[in-house]
Amino acid sequence: MTTLVRTTLDSALGAIEVHRGGHGGPAPLVYLHSAQGEGPGATLLEELAATRLVVAPLFPGFGDSEGLQHIDDIEDAAFHILDVLDRSGLPQCDLVGTSLGGWMAVELAVRWPERVRRMVLVNPVGLYVSGAPISEIFGRRPSELAAELFADPDYPLAQLMRAMDAMEADPSQIPFELVRPILQSQAATAKVGWNPYLHDPKLPGRLHRVTAPTRIVHARQDGIVPRAHAEAYAAAIPDAEIADLDGAAHLAVLERPDEVVKLVLEHLGD
Amino acid sequence: MRFFSFHLMPYPDLPPDYDGPAWITCPNEFFDPRLGGDLYNRYIDELVYAEELGFDGVCVNEHHQNAYGIMPSPNLIASILARLTSRVRIAVVGNALPLYDPPTRVAEEFAMIDCISGGRLIAGMVVGGGPEYYSFSLNPAHARERFAEAHDLILRVWTEPGPFEFTGKHYKLRYVNSWPRPVQQPHPEIWIPGVGSLETLEFVAKHHYAYMGIPYFHISVFERMFTMMREACQKEGYDADPLQLGWLVPIFVADTDAEARRRYEEHFWYFVRRLLPGINISPPGYTSVRSSENIMKNAGTFALNLDSWDEVVDGQYAIVGSPETVTELLAANVERLGVGNLLGLFQLGTLPAAETKQSLELFAAEVMPKLRASFPGTELAAPPAAAPATATS
Repeated sequence: MTTLVRTTLDSALGAIEVHRGGHGGPAPLVYLHSAQGEGPGATLLEELAATRLVVAPLFPGFGDSEGLQHIDDIEDAAFHILDVLDRSGLPQCDLVGTSLGGWMAVELAVRWPERVRRMVLVNPVGLYVSGAPISEIFGRRPSELAAELFADPDYPLAQLMRAMDAMEADPSQIPFELVRPILQSQAATAKVGWNPYLHDPKLPGRLHRVTAPTRIVHARQDGIVPRAHAEAYAAAIPDAEIADLDGAAHLAVLERPDEVVKLVLEHLGD
Repeated sequence: MRFFSFHLMPYPDLPPDYDGPAWITCPNEFFDPRLGGDLYNRYIDELVYAEELGFDGVCVNEHHQNAYGIMPSPNLIASILARLTSRVRIAVVGNALPLYDPPTRVAEEFAMIDCISGGRLIAGMVVGGGPEYYSFSLNPAHARERFAEAHDLILRVWTEPGPFEFTGKHYKLRYVNSWPRPVQQPHPEIWIPGVGSLETLEFVAKHHYAYMGIPYFHISVFERMFTMMREACQKEGYDADPLQLGWLVPIFVADTDAEARRRYEEHFWYFVRRLLPGINISPPGYTSVRSSENIMKNAGTFALNLDSWDEVVDGQYAIVGSPETVTELLAANVERLGVGNLLGLFQLGTLPAAETKQSLELFAAEVMPKLRASFPGTELAAPPAAAPATATS
């Protein structure tokens, strides 16, 4: 029995799949997912929903969310999320975002700081840090990527990604129903993050606008985003701190949900 | 039937111990500029020689940052050919429109080549290969949109009096007014190469352009592709002219079948094993989900998966043999595929100049005349009305 239920929100860009449930807490918690599209059925969200109202929209191109044809860049993404908050009746919320979703959370918070009470960013992208490049996520062998996304090579999704390598030579062997959502979500990620690569050159100059107390969670084994990015965010956002997490990599929200929930709730308070 | 000699201009000297991709990240320290100069001149000579041998046309194409084809600017080569030849059609197959910003550059350069050649240009337009979107850091999720918009702009440049203003999503130009204009009116013949994407087939059919099937797949893939193309034309209310269909295939001719294989096989494998790796990368959003499904179905027959010469022969990945064998195989396939343009890749991989020349000569003397007799007709029927210049699919 899950607490979150799937709902459909009518946004300016089309129908958006939103997973929503739970109650309590000082403010509703909005979760913005990574390029992995985690959300439906995620342990992390179920645990958060035990004490909070959780609202987790899927970005256009992910799940059944429509409107990707209207998204060209990260600014379109920020305006879309603002629209989702408005239509969900959320004048103010706590924002939690992972990786791509962390970037989108910050883009919202620099434009409309009053909409965000407190914020947690887990391994966020969004910045360019000289000498500390974000690893390539497009066109990589799934097995290589798995090693950067997960700390534990035996995590089920990591195993699945390694198995995909074997099917690479003949993709006709892979059922297309499995491939379709991956193609769509990768296209969505490319729309906002292909060039400039997973960052917004204007963002550093705007970070001073963030008013929400912000915690940046950095997983020590993250193979995608170096710690220097968490440091750059922490240095430029007025009220910010870094929380390091051991034994986790880029997709800590999937691999270590209990620890991430603890770090999130500790920062958001009850 | 029209006969074209197509050149990729491959780099034949990758270090033996290099086993990485030939695309995007293949270290350019492997490119020896002196050898490169020799190769360019040799390859140009091979194309010019095709005119002397009686071919109807020559083809060049565009690829960037790779060893598979060292021709980032096919327009440079085409302009040299325009001056060095006097009769053959010069097909640039094509310019990767989204890589030109603004794409009026393509309209201008193609018009220059058409002027210099006295109206012999065939204007190829292509989205660009998957690797190009890495090499240019160009957003693949915008590839189709940019292609469609650039195409509309170029057609307007050629067919509408300038100056005019163009306001698209990707290109906003206040004064469009190309000098020069093309000799061929209303515009040069347009070819679109493809690997079976439905959007591309529908686009080509709608505009009455010609579709060039890109090689390195099992022959059955081409058969499906050209059937789909004919169906797409029927949906537009007309029957496809065979000259709207082109089949690109590696060809090698020697005195006997055994000799042909003996002289050709190692060069073919260099091409497949050294130059193809990396070509098939498909960046996110580059192909629609609808087309991806179709393309994935064919992926297992891509030449990169070939293990043995028997598979090459069975799937007709290359047509190799005596003049009799090559004539017979080509005639059967031209009939089966219903194509009116044969685009032969006569030089491939490491195939040396002397071998290329001999094969071309044998083909021209002993294969081409027989096929010409079997498949007459070299004039493309004009579409019922001028193709619309601004409508997109």
